[in-house]
Amino acid sequence: MRLDKCWFCSSTLYPGHGTQFVRNDAKIFRFCRSKCHKNFKMKRNPRKVKWTKAYRRLHGKDMTQDFAFEFERKHNRPERYDRNVTENTLKAIRTIDKVRVTREIKHIERRMTGKKAKELREAQKELEQNISLVKAPAVLREDPSLTLPIKLKVSQKQAEAHLMEE
Amino acid sequence: MAATFASKCSRVGRSLWGGLGNNLSGLLSASHETACNHFLSQQRTFIQMRTVLKVVDNSGAKKVMCIQALKGKKGARLGDTIIASVKEAYPNGKVKKGKVVYGVVVRAAMQRGRCDGSEVKFDDNAVVLVDKQGQPIGTRVFGPVPHELRQKKHVKILSLAGHIA
Repeated sequence: MRLDKCWFCSSTLYPGHGTQFVRNDAKIFRFCRSKCHKNFKMKRNPRKVKWTKAYRRLHGKDMTQDFAFEFERKHNRPERYDRNVTENTLKAIRTIDKVRVTREIKHIERRMTGKKAKELREAQKELEQNISLVKAPAVLREDPSLTLPIKLKVSQKQAEAHLMEE
Repeated sequence: MAATFASKCSRVGRSLWGGLGNNLSGLLSASHETACNHFLSQQRTFIQMRTVLKVVDNSGAKKVMCIQALKGKKGARLGDTIIASVKEAYPNGKVKKGKVVYGVVVRAAMQRGRCDGSEVKFDDNAVVLVDKQGQPIGTRVFGPVPHELRQKKHVKILSLAGHIA
């Protein structure tokens, strides 16, 4: 039994699933489902299609180089059956998978750090600059209850102070 | 709309619509609207009478037209034998144009289910000419061949093949 990868989306192909297309130059394309197969027939490049692993790896969304991937390399040399080796391999698969998954999650988390703070900063800036789209600044100055909390109050007070000085 | 109807019919029935489905899809390809997604909804069917196949050995023939699919009411599939008439041949070859020959289908555009549940399909319809006993006439086979031939006892063709899909 061999677990292959879908040519288009890189998901694993379990036995009983998927189709394979053999081209006349003897290159075999395996697909996990008809969605991938139809995209292939449309001649779409998986590196440009956003939901595929190829795109994600290419654009740095997913981890590319890691020690845990070395274990999954395909070898074409047949292994002599040894019961102990098989047992250890099965145990190792479980732990390596766990490690790989946690590392991938960490990678995505690391990529996303600072995103929330950045979004907040951008939102505040937009509020400051474009509040006039919502309410006219003259109205805001007249009725202080309409002003927004945090920063805008301070700047409004400063504006008032400036007016007083003038 | 008509395209989906035809493909649905050929998926459900496949018995009567085999020949008709091909005709319908042929008609639709002439019309303008389904020109672009014709190849997506194309339903590949069996190899039947009048199917032209490519010959992929060095027996001398180039193109061969199926006149009978032995075994199979609806037509021949991957790995089946057919009786064919040579339509196009190289000038100096073992077979000449117009000869009636037997052939083994080694590549079929229609998908064939494998015993593990997956399906295989090839790019074109190709045949290897054999004699009545099943021994290939040519001495070389070009292109990939499926390992369904082993079950059908065409071991000689497998041994001549370059790639086994």
